[in-house]
Amino acid sequence: MQILLVEDDVEAAGHVGNGLREAGYSVQHCADGQAGLDAARAVRFDLLIVDRMLPHVDGLTIVGTLRLENVPTPVLLLSALGTIDDRVEGLRAGGDDYLVKPFAFAELLARVEALLRRAAGDSQHVGVLRVADLEINVMARRVLRAGRTIDLTAKEFQLLEFLVRRAGQVVTRTMLLESVWNLHFDPQTNLIDVHISRLRQAIDREFNPPLLHTIRGVGYSIRDPGQGA
Amino acid sequence: MPRFLSSSARLALWYLGGAALGISALLWSSYLLTQRAMERQVDLVVETEIESLREDYRGGGIGRLVEVLDQRDDDWGRLGAAYLLVDREGSQLAGNLSSWPKRFSTEGDWLEFDISASERGGAVDHPVRAKVVTLDGNRLLVGTDVSERRRFAERLRSTTYWGMGLTVAFMAFTGLWFSRRVAARVRAVAQACQSIISGDLTRRLPLERNADEFDQLASAVNGMLDRIEQQTAIVHVTFNSAAHDLRGPLFRMRARLEAALTGAAADGAGEVSASVAIRATIDDLERVQRTLATLLQIAQAEAGGNDTSRERVDLAQMARELGELYEPAARERGLTLKVSADSPALLSAHQQLLAQLVTNLLENALKYVPAGGTVRLQVTADQGLIQLIVSDDGPGIPSAVHAAMLLPFRRQARDGGTPGSGLGLSLVAAVVRLHQGRLELLNAGPGLTVRCSFAALGSAPDTSRA
Repeated sequence: MQILLVEDDVEAAGHVGNGLREAGYSVQHCADGQAGLDAARAVRFDLLIVDRMLPHVDGLTIVGTLRLENVPTPVLLLSALGTIDDRVEGLRAGGDDYLVKPFAFAELLARVEALLRRAAGDSQHVGVLRVADLEINVMARRVLRAGRTIDLTAKEFQLLEFLVRRAGQVVTRTMLLESVWNLHFDPQTNLIDVHISRLRQAIDREFNPPLLHTIRGVGYSIRDPGQGA
Repeated sequence: MPRFLSSSARLALWYLGGAALGISALLWSSYLLTQRAMERQVDLVVETEIESLREDYRGGGIGRLVEVLDQRDDDWGRLGAAYLLVDREGSQLAGNLSSWPKRFSTEGDWLEFDISASERGGAVDHPVRAKVVTLDGNRLLVGTDVSERRRFAERLRSTTYWGMGLTVAFMAFTGLWFSRRVAARVRAVAQACQSIISGDLTRRLPLERNADEFDQLASAVNGMLDRIEQQTAIVHVTFNSAAHDLRGPLFRMRARLEAALTGAAADGAGEVSASVAIRATIDDLERVQRTLATLLQIAQAEAGGNDTSRERVDLAQMARELGELYEPAARERGLTLKVSADSPALLSAHQQLLAQLVTNLLENALKYVPAGGTVRLQVTADQGLIQLIVSDDGPGIPSAVHAAMLLPFRRQARDGGTPGSGLGLSLVAAVVRLHQGRLELLNAGPGLTVRCSFAALGSAPDTSRA
């Protein structure tokens, strides 16, 4: 997987680049907007990570230009501009996700993976999602585990569907707040953990093996132990 | 002054110059009309007299005419009438003039000359206006003394001149006074502005308390300055408190990292303490980050937000969803969270900031209400007014400090032990202001009730002045 990182802060770029390389990606770095745009035009990358404020050509212009030229590569925008309007602006310009600095590296990694999977088109567009013996009928809004019906509230169902569509990936609390509750800020109280433990009660308590895992300091993941993620 | 005349002086000059010209033209033309009417009257008298003498001549010939003229010999003294009849050779036949005038000016049939008459003060020249007719070779001169009328005309003319002069002088004086006054007030305003620009935000524009346009303008500007000063003060307090508030965690982080560094160097086995220090530091960093993020959102809400980011939001639905999100956390703390938001409450709002508002109020309740308490989240929509009410039966806030609690970084002394940035209610206040709503803190005795009122979608935002 080839990732282009366009970031003028050399130290930050070093950390992000090293982290991504350790995670098994191949990373090319440009410290300048124009160079980044040229590189993105020359080579077909799998993902672009672009800082919003760059010398010469800013991040939004890079994304906008690439989208005008019909380059579909997913783009993760990084920015120190954290208001909601800034985020909306970034996504409107053609960015696929928007991460506000400072962020935990694990958060970035989770989003990179989500974007790459989405681009690969493996999010199941089928009506029935399966992880091990857990079965979710999206249309009928029905959940079965080992053939037994599990009752969930509407939000719990949304939460489960989001996790199952990303089975095997790590999903962060922020991603859940954004996608399931449409909250683009972090409430002080840790609200997600309680909801996850309720969901876990419902789908894992009376069954084996457990499918919903907590990844310490990062978030959660649903995975089929039989497949070895 | 950079120009010789200020703009107000130039304007006054044009207007008053025009007015002076108009008034002068009026005075002058009325003088001319009067004078002409008087002359015509004189001419008419003389012509009537000539006509009557011509009648006499036609009736009785030259002899009769001489007779009539002799009868009127003393008319000069009585009526100011002058007669002279001469024959072909120019010798006098009759009349009270002894000879044909030597110096005269002519104007058609008319002559004007002076008669020297001896009066009490000595010889005085009387101007005479006369007409000459020829009767079969003899010449008849009939005139009248116009000195009285000339004097009147003279007086009329000088009165007119005085009138014109006074008008111009008065206009010039008024113009000068007016423009000076305007210039002085403008200068006073400019000076006040200059000192405000150089940093004295407490300075205000001078008022003359006569409710003229200048006072109206000045009090509007002063109102604006009040708002700016107030806003600046809030920014100032926020900035100071932010710096102060961040210093604590920054100091802890530094101290921890330094201790970890020296500890690791000393015994070579500082691994564990180093990782503890790093984890605690990351926690502190997160706190700092959160404070900065909240400050940023307050700034965004205070700046008025972006109108394009407003959308139709159902506050009731939002309250139900957030209630559901918070319910487990509330139960975990031994609190009961009751949500009642059944009927739709549509408003045009900044969705994320409004969600942040509800979230902050719930966070506060969760934080400060002791276990066993009840928190109520309520949304009502009634006649264009949408109300969001969060009430609890916790310790509440004394009424005296309600207003102060809305300022950034204000926390009650007793809350020192509870983690919190002191920004929650400031953000709530800023978001309510952004949506032209009204925020009230009420004593629920016991407990606190926070009520936010907004105008529903499609009704005028009049809640701010309710």
